[in-house]
Amino acid sequence: MNQVDPYLIPALDGVAYGLLLFVVAAGLVLSFGVAGILNLAHGTLYAIGAYVAAILSDGSWLALLLALAVGVGAATAGGAALSGMLAPVPRGDHLTQALLTFGVALAGGSLLVMAFGAENLPVRVPATVDRPVDLAGHAYAGYRLVFIAVAAALALALHAVVTRTRAGMLVRAAVDDPDMVACLGVNPERVRLGVLAASGALAGAAGVLGAPIIGPGPSTAATVLLLSLVVVVLGGRNGHSSVVATLVAALAVGQIQTLGVALAPTAAPFLLFAAMAAVLAARSHGLIRRWSPA
Amino acid sequence: MYRSKILAGLLALGTALAAVGCGGEPEGSPGTIKVGLLASLSGTYQAIGTDMRDGFQLYLRTHGGKLGGHPIELVVADEGDGPPTAVPAATKLVKQDRVSVLTGIVGGGSAAAVYPVLTEAKIPFIGANARPAFKDVSRVWHTSYLSQETGASVAQYVRDHVEGSVYAIGPDYQGGHDQLKGFTDAFTKAGGTLANADGKTRFTPFPTTTNFTPYFAQIKASGAKAVYTFYAGTAAIDFVKQYSQSEIKDLPLYAAGFLTEGGVLNAQGDAARGIYSVLNYSPDLDNAENRSFVAAWKENHDGPPTTYAMASYDAAAVLDKAIGAAGDNPTPESINRAIGQLGQIDSPRGAWQFSKTTHSPVQKWYLRQVRQDGRALSNMVVTDLATVGK
Repeated sequence: MNQVDPYLIPALDGVAYGLLLFVVAAGLVLSFGVAGILNLAHGTLYAIGAYVAAILSDGSWLALLLALAVGVGAATAGGAALSGMLAPVPRGDHLTQALLTFGVALAGGSLLVMAFGAENLPVRVPATVDRPVDLAGHAYAGYRLVFIAVAAALALALHAVVTRTRAGMLVRAAVDDPDMVACLGVNPERVRLGVLAASGALAGAAGVLGAPIIGPGPSTAATVLLLSLVVVVLGGRNGHSSVVATLVAALAVGQIQTLGVALAPTAAPFLLFAAMAAVLAARSHGLIRRWSPA
Repeated sequence: MYRSKILAGLLALGTALAAVGCGGEPEGSPGTIKVGLLASLSGTYQAIGTDMRDGFQLYLRTHGGKLGGHPIELVVADEGDGPPTAVPAATKLVKQDRVSVLTGIVGGGSAAAVYPVLTEAKIPFIGANARPAFKDVSRVWHTSYLSQETGASVAQYVRDHVEGSVYAIGPDYQGGHDQLKGFTDAFTKAGGTLANADGKTRFTPFPTTTNFTPYFAQIKASGAKAVYTFYAGTAAIDFVKQYSQSEIKDLPLYAAGFLTEGGVLNAQGDAARGIYSVLNYSPDLDNAENRSFVAAWKENHDGPPTTYAMASYDAAAVLDKAIGAAGDNPTPESINRAIGQLGQIDSPRGAWQFSKTTHSPVQKWYLRQVRQDGRALSNMVVTDLATVGK
């Protein structure tokens, strides 16, 4: 066995984990990085998707598709409802946004526990991929391979929408110059509604597809929110490049959490946050620009 | 000095008031005794806490609401996630409800923080789960176990049945350290070899570790022939699900019983099949006490009872015997003295008794394996292991 061999699987798993973080964080980047709305209830929207997956999954592909439709629908509605609650809050008032959405997250978390109980729920993966796959002499979870493909496709689609479509352009324009967008006859309120609904849809999709990896339970929302915030902070920068930057940041976090831990297990407790501190120390302007009103 | 005089005065006053209170009762009818039960009814440990409450209440229900011939008024309070909620709740039970004895407590941190409240009031505590280190156990009793005992009891069996080295891995907090140390100390003493690179247990960050794949790669590279672990709660679910699809899926997995106990087994599903675990209880134990305990439990619950419910049920059994032996007007002091003189306690886990030195059970441990039991997966006894405790 050579020197590289033991690290193949952690490296591959880092890609799967990174892509999960990307899909989770992309919704947050969309609302925060692109539209300037700080949504701390984002993890709760993921949890909704994950609970839907747990309730509907029965080991068939049809159930997974149904869960995807219901989960995305519910989380989209949740995002739209948040948009309604945020309507009276002035643009760029991140403190109020944070307090409001954090309150919603706390209440939503309690409601989810009341509805589904305090236990972590099992999630069933379609039977055809619920087994280890042989990769160059190593076993790797089949579902995670499928997940890598699906999440990569989602990333491409999201990038295309933000950079190439009229909707994506409107969102970016509404950040740069909301008054001008309003003059052009587009209601900024509707842009915000659209962004939060799309962000919710992404969180819901991530929740349904990611449930076998980060499963539904009382601590899901907090875990997901923390990891997404790390990715958003590491991604830095504003505007159009955010999808690519987020993907790079998410993949980096994925590798730190898997390959990094395999290489330096004793450093595992602080590896992620040490990396985050190092990035911030080197290029803090990315973060500072983000917090200033667009 | 001064303080103890005041305390003595208050105690005398309390006894006098209690005597006045008893005066109205008809001659010969035993007075009601207040028992406080503190357990996590909300938060992370809600599942364990409700099991403990239900276990105690089950004993009361099946014994006519009486312990030792006295009607029992059970006052339940919520321990929450730890000391910030547990201490006020315990203080209320002691100062306001004036309970004669306290039972329950899920978390080690809570138990340690509540301890001064109980010592000050001189109330005996029958713990039914976590047992942190106490300076003085004269009023502290546990119906559960000491953390090191779990791994110690299975070490010889693993040594005898695994041909090669064993990799030890667990969560990086006090409970995890105690659990793993119990195993590794006894295992190396029995002549076993750890597969871990430097002979030291691999501890994973807690609770932040959700992905165990990098550790599995290390275990594979170490050439281990089996794995010993302890995880509980969410970490147990992640560990087991990922293990079953990892490159070490064919290595036998031995664990402290909490890995597959209660609700987590349901969430793990098929991934848990075949896992060996060691615990002081299994719902399929073949003895009369256990058969009636399991049958009564299943009247109100979907799944089989857990060790948490069993330990709390036993706390009630201990009080039943002790209150019966504590005279006509049991006081916290006389109940505590009576507990110290109890002999064997018949329990669903098999008979056990309190150790004179640690005040925790001298009991038998069981090796269990996750197998199909009717429609559901269940922990089923494979063999008896060592009797541990002194």
